[in-house]
Amino acid sequence: MAFEKYAEELGRRKALALAMGGEKRLAKQRALGRLNARERIDYLVDPGSFLELGMFAVSDRPEAREETPADGKITGYGRIAGREAAIISHDITVKSASSSPINVRKMGHMRRAAIANGIPFVLLNESSGARIPDTMGAVGTGILGQDPHQFVRMREIPYVSAVLGPAFGTACWFTQLSDFVVMRKDAYLAIASPKVTEVAINQKIDPQELAGWRMQSEVTGKVDYAVDTDEEALDLLKKFLSYLPSNHGELPPQAAVPAGSDQTVQEILNIVPENRAKVYDVRKVVAAISDKDSVFALKDRFARTAYTALARINGQVVGFLASNPMFKGGALDSDSCDKATTFLVLCDSFNIPIIILADTPGFLIGVEGERRKAPGKIMNFMTALQMCTVPKFSIVLRKSYGQAYLNMGGTRNSDEMLAWHCAEVGFMDPTVAVNVVYGVRAETEPERFQKLVEDLQRESSAYDLASIFSAQAVIDPRESRAWLSRLLEVHKRRLSRGIGKHLMAGWPTTF
Amino acid sequence: MASETVKSEITGKVWKIVLQPGARVAEEDTIMILESMKMEIPVMASVAGTLTQILVKETEDVAEGQAVAIIEY
Repeated sequence: MAFEKYAEELGRRKALALAMGGEKRLAKQRALGRLNARERIDYLVDPGSFLELGMFAVSDRPEAREETPADGKITGYGRIAGREAAIISHDITVKSASSSPINVRKMGHMRRAAIANGIPFVLLNESSGARIPDTMGAVGTGILGQDPHQFVRMREIPYVSAVLGPAFGTACWFTQLSDFVVMRKDAYLAIASPKVTEVAINQKIDPQELAGWRMQSEVTGKVDYAVDTDEEALDLLKKFLSYLPSNHGELPPQAAVPAGSDQTVQEILNIVPENRAKVYDVRKVVAAISDKDSVFALKDRFARTAYTALARINGQVVGFLASNPMFKGGALDSDSCDKATTFLVLCDSFNIPIIILADTPGFLIGVEGERRKAPGKIMNFMTALQMCTVPKFSIVLRKSYGQAYLNMGGTRNSDEMLAWHCAEVGFMDPTVAVNVVYGVRAETEPERFQKLVEDLQRESSAYDLASIFSAQAVIDPRESRAWLSRLLEVHKRRLSRGIGKHLMAGWPTTF
Repeated sequence: MASETVKSEITGKVWKIVLQPGARVAEEDTIMILESMKMEIPVMASVAGTLTQILVKETEDVAEGQAVAIIEY
């Protein structure tokens, strides 16, 4: 056969590349209960759809050429639920998946192709960081930074990351830039490893405090979901992508509407107590309004006073932002503002209409909040809300006070504002206002205090809000789904075929 | 055995202690209810485990960030 020698050589080299870092290191991954870099891709993508680029890339150091198949990062195109994606899977068995000029070149190639062709950028992150000793010295460090746009994010396409092991350096950087992050509970996410950090600062470091899943889920909010296995992580990446378009020039995919989806909203009066002193879990309200089983929360362990979730109504993807009275009585704090802002930017960047549910006594005030830059964060939230060009609908459920009323879509901060029949809107808690404005205290002048509270509470009802046309309608809670459904039908932004202006495409990914 | 300190997220008054030391808790189970901003606001378990200590009494004032219970898991 002609070219037989060449065919054999190609086969031989392919087999070497597919063997990754060798059986011993692969066995170690298996023993840790982890999939390897290639198994992760196989699990994620539609069978047979992975087209690998850079299989024969190797380290640019001659002495390392034989020991760096694919130079430690597997890259290529794969179809995820039928849609093309650009995939990077770091191979921890090859020099701990450390970054080098060649494999960073591969990553840059994938990133540029993804953006140019409007397909999601999917990163399966596990890496020790920059390769040492390659990056040492002026030549080693100076050769970095070849790509002047490496870290620019203009949200043309979704970036999604799974943190599947220790993720430092580039693996950490791209996780920070991502729209969705899932992390294994035995993984680490930080600038540098606990070991490097310990040596550098000469102090014992608790890896969980430095880089653990709870810290990243609850304190920084960078992680949306924490899981036990690679398969669960990859399933969640797929799930997130199913709510988003492949790029910002497309609409999110439409889905079928499960039977019974119109009935769940009838339960809403059993979820929300009439007694204002009692709190409830707004997550149940969002589920009642949405298509059955369509709700997908983001950052649920972070800033729980604000609830952010993707969902569907009549098969159309929407983004819910709701204050949750179960946490802090629904009073919004600095972290809630950050969480809301991030979510608004995500929805607006990918043509997802926003639905805001307000039941809040206002923003938390105090010294701690001020030290955490609460006013600036309230303004970030407000700026993001006002820069949205996707449709925004808001509903006042029970109460909405002060600036928070505005941040939660009040008056012209949403395209249409509705109020439940029991809603109450005002500037501040009347009992505080009486004290501040009249200097009267409940303890010393109870009758006069009570009368002044009643005076200030006048004109606070849903009907008062509607009387000045700040609310476009007053509705029974059970009508919420029907109203939102119809408003979504009307607010299709037909002149631009549903595609927004994406004014926040370049918003920072962390702030 | 690890130990988790449950902290109050708000300033308020302890209205009702719902669970006693020894109780097994799941994440988000209500341990006690605080009164603040005219609402009854739950303090919830942040991990699943066993509630070993309640650090406050009913009618006591608590500050934001104050430790109110210990869970071992």
